[in-house]
Amino acid sequence: MERMDGRDDDTEAVAQARTGDADAFRRLVERHSAHVFRLAYRMTRNDHDAEDVVQEAFLKAYRSLDRFEERAHFGSWLHRIAANCAYDVLRARLRRDERVEASEGPEGDRTLAVASADPGPDRLLAGREVQSRLKGALGRMSALERSAFTLRHLEGMSIAEISRALDLDASAAKQSVFRAVRKLRQALGDAASWEATP
Amino acid sequence: MRHLSEEELVLHHFGDADSPAALDAHLEECAACRAALAAVRADLSAIDVPEPPERGADYGAQVWSRLQPRLAAEPRVVSIEDAPARTAARTRSRWRRAWAPLAVAASLVLAFLLGRHWPQAVPPPAVSAAARERILLVAVGDHLERSEMLLVELVNAGTEGKAVDISTEQQWAEELVGANRLYRQTVARAGDPGVASVLEELERLLVEVAHRPSSLSLAELDEIRQRIESRGLLFRVRVMETQVREKEKENKETQLPGGKVVS
Repeated sequence: MERMDGRDDDTEAVAQARTGDADAFRRLVERHSAHVFRLAYRMTRNDHDAEDVVQEAFLKAYRSLDRFEERAHFGSWLHRIAANCAYDVLRARLRRDERVEASEGPEGDRTLAVASADPGPDRLLAGREVQSRLKGALGRMSALERSAFTLRHLEGMSIAEISRALDLDASAAKQSVFRAVRKLRQALGDAASWEATP
Repeated sequence: MRHLSEEELVLHHFGDADSPAALDAHLEECAACRAALAAVRADLSAIDVPEPPERGADYGAQVWSRLQPRLAAEPRVVSIEDAPARTAARTRSRWRRAWAPLAVAASLVLAFLLGRHWPQAVPPPAVSAAARERILLVAVGDHLERSEMLLVELVNAGTEGKAVDISTEQQWAEELVGANRLYRQTVARAGDPGVASVLEELERLLVEVAHRPSSLSLAELDEIRQRIESRGLLFRVRVMETQVREKEKENKETQLPGGKVVS
């Protein structure tokens, strides 16, 4: 997991930014932007959404500087804020997607029908099918499941950190991760059956 | 012997099981559960880690340049414990942010029009056509950016709960309407129907937001969102802002060295 901590300079910059020193906050932004973008992109898997998350995360951080505990790492704190912003973006996006799907109908079955018509188990095609199924499974997750899973599996955040980032209790965070994994495995199970079909 | 459930296996894989020692002991003895755990791990390893697009070394500076105008509209950092004061300060700040565009628009549009309609008998102030265009581009670009921020707030507002208070957004929208009208008319006179059309669409939405009740149900808020989304307004505003900024940049680059721009 990439972390944005261990920077002594941050402590000084945060203290200065708290007094209204814009230049100090600029230093924090310039230092941490790339890390925040990476996290945002992994959660949203969308360039434009990730950029929105970066902006919102720094804005929220700026507004909440007084809540930052000096003994904590600014990078970790910012990481949680960014995760929360990405979760908000995902929720908004999924709401929009639901409306679109309701008007257009499911696409997945059509894709499978075309793929199954291919004669022979082509490995490359199967690999694509697996990724396509995984993508479909990600789309079927709730924003919470997807966020919790990404933070746990791809970002390596602990359940305690995820709970704080997404405003959940620990058992809800664990459940969200598990439900996400189950959906992925169900999708892969379908894909594996398909792969095995000559 | 009871086999481990899928949930126990998944939590164990992540190191989040409540009794890891007991699960380990079971796995030691049970080949079927070991195989099931291996299958969980194999499935999880099939998931690709999305590689973010590369960002240049100056990415932090770019983020800062986009963020800075928004921070400038924020109140100075105040104690979080003092929530009412913080809210009041934010509201005041938003009022300032809302009034500012109108004042700036009025002065810039005046400057623009002075250059075009100054009586021939009297020498106009030294505002060249290029400078007028540049002034207008900067102003319209800033206006589109502020409008985009408002649209984003509306799209993301009120994800939970029964009612959403949009009074601050309404004040914001109300004042953007005034500035928008001035820019739309000026842009139309300047012969840019593309920008004028986006501003016209934006104006209709701003008026609608400003005239709604300040407390909206989620369904009512959804109506506004759908209106923003169905007409692709946010996207069009973003695209237009980008185009205006690019044009502004081109103008800057083609400006002669030492050329003076009246602002």
